[in-house]
Amino acid sequence: MAAFLLRRILQSLILVWIVLTITFFLLHLAPGDPMARYDHPDISPETVALMRERLGLDRPVVEQYFRWAAGFARGDFGVSFRYNRPVASILAETIPNTLRLTVASMVLYVVTGIVLGMMSAARRYSVFDRLNTIIALFVYSIPSFWLALMLILVFSLKLGLLPSSHMQSLDSVSLSGAALFFDRAKHLALPAFVLGVASAAGLARYMRGSMIDVLREDYIRTARAKGLTEASVMFKHAFRNAAIPVVTILGMSLPFLLGGAVIVEKIFSWPGMGGLMVDAIYTRDYPVILAVNFVVAVMVIMGNLLADAGYALLDPRIMARQTDR
Amino acid sequence: MTETAFQQANRGCWSGGWVRFRKNRTGMAGAVIVVILYLMAVFAPMLTPYDPVSQGPLPEMRHNAPGWSHPLGTDKFGRDVLARVLYGSRISLAISFLSVSLSVILGALAGAAAGYAGGWIDAVIMRVVDALMAIPRLFLLLTCIALFSNSVPLVIILLGATGWMATARLVRGQVLSLRRQDFVVAAESLGAGGRRIIFRHLIPNTLTVMIISATLRIGGIILTEASLSFLGLGVPQPIPSWGRMVFEGREVLLGAWWVSTFPGLAIIATVIGYNLLGDGLKESFDPVHFS
Repeated sequence: MAAFLLRRILQSLILVWIVLTITFFLLHLAPGDPMARYDHPDISPETVALMRERLGLDRPVVEQYFRWAAGFARGDFGVSFRYNRPVASILAETIPNTLRLTVASMVLYVVTGIVLGMMSAARRYSVFDRLNTIIALFVYSIPSFWLALMLILVFSLKLGLLPSSHMQSLDSVSLSGAALFFDRAKHLALPAFVLGVASAAGLARYMRGSMIDVLREDYIRTARAKGLTEASVMFKHAFRNAAIPVVTILGMSLPFLLGGAVIVEKIFSWPGMGGLMVDAIYTRDYPVILAVNFVVAVMVIMGNLLADAGYALLDPRIMARQTDR
Repeated sequence: MTETAFQQANRGCWSGGWVRFRKNRTGMAGAVIVVILYLMAVFAPMLTPYDPVSQGPLPEMRHNAPGWSHPLGTDKFGRDVLARVLYGSRISLAISFLSVSLSVILGALAGAAAGYAGGWIDAVIMRVVDALMAIPRLFLLLTCIALFSNSVPLVIILLGATGWMATARLVRGQVLSLRRQDFVVAAESLGAGGRRIIFRHLIPNTLTVMIISATLRIGGIILTEASLSFLGLGVPQPIPSWGRMVFEGREVLLGAWWVSTFPGLAIIATVIGYNLLGDGLKESFDPVHFS
């Protein structure tokens, strides 16, 4: 198992490196100049030339690549053209924020998706099941940015119940303990709902299908024949088996959640990597674009590996197969 | 040219599929929604007297609430929201159709080549697929858009070029099972080359699966295009695009809710239409479902 995971990590890292190398050359050879933003009558051409020299942009592209690659390998992501600060320190501030949003969304996503899927499967073809399918289809088709705006309209602007932007209130420095936690939770509510619950519609549909397949199995009939309670049959026997294919979906949903975070962070002014990426695009801040892509790819790979590990834990046969190899 | 037994069986599967599809309420509902949307896009000039781009007299036409003369209201430039939603459907439907077609062509070629050739060609193609799938699509798109200034053809090419991986996997799987079938072995023994086998025998037999997967993916493409336009990195101004229209209305949510709400509902209706149609096609034509 360990050898298998190690091989997967190495393969994935090589692939990420190739993608980053291609991105580097495309970014540097494409039209557009990151120094164009300093094209201002108050800034002399000599100053711009000096900045270009300091950032290494005056050197041949191949030399720039090797300097960037050597730095990258050491964990030095370079200096942001826009903020004039090391990219690593900007990432250190934004990654935890994105993780907070993504993890909260993931929890909502998993809980809502699995619970609704199981309930639908248990009462197949009932009014609840049909209603659930229709709502899931509707929610699945809503653009996240539109849902976010509608929720802001209702819960922030009309009802004034939840804040519409940022991670915490401006006066939160004076808060501590439970009050601070509550303030942050209130700020997290709408973004996490948009990202998590809205995506859960797809998971619920998948869980329902997986659960229905499992409920047809002989061992479920046996469990019921033994006189086990319905709850025991559903949770102990059916859920564990139905969850196996769902774990793969969870691993695959991480890119989806991180991609969705770009939009959600922008709308809710959440200071995470998504907003950072969009701003970097506008200002052609190459080091930031490359570093964010790298971090996101690593997160996705780790998500997939965790899914593989979870898969093996849920189904011992998979572990046995890996060990046999 | 005589039909092979496999092609006859395949044709039978198609006509049987149509019979099943006509009885499938979900699929038919989706088909009706999609047909209505295309009719609205084509006949937009007949459905509204207003131009979607030219401004109305300001300030009296700014943010007029829905009423008789403007059923869905006006935006901050005094433009009719209904006209912009109708003309916006042209952009949204054209972009999604063309980019899905491009991604299906690229995916079919890559998947068929990987599945048929095997060996290192298969390994290289599938590792590229894995690598591209490891990066969230929106990040990939944003990075590519950073390279060039945004335009409609660029959005189509990028959405197509970043969305072929799932089709490649699907077609590869199909080709792996098809290549051992008698008709492929027979073609090989008659001396047919790799290119002929891929284009004449393998790809045509994966068409059903490709069409189903393409229909199911159009909804996602529409949402991605709308997201890009919402971020100001998709369809450039002043072309009416649903995503951009939602963005433009976000500053006046409380006072002029209609500017964001109606384009959003148009996106939802389109995506629901395509998802229902895709589900119906899957239930009617996919052998796994109807057998």
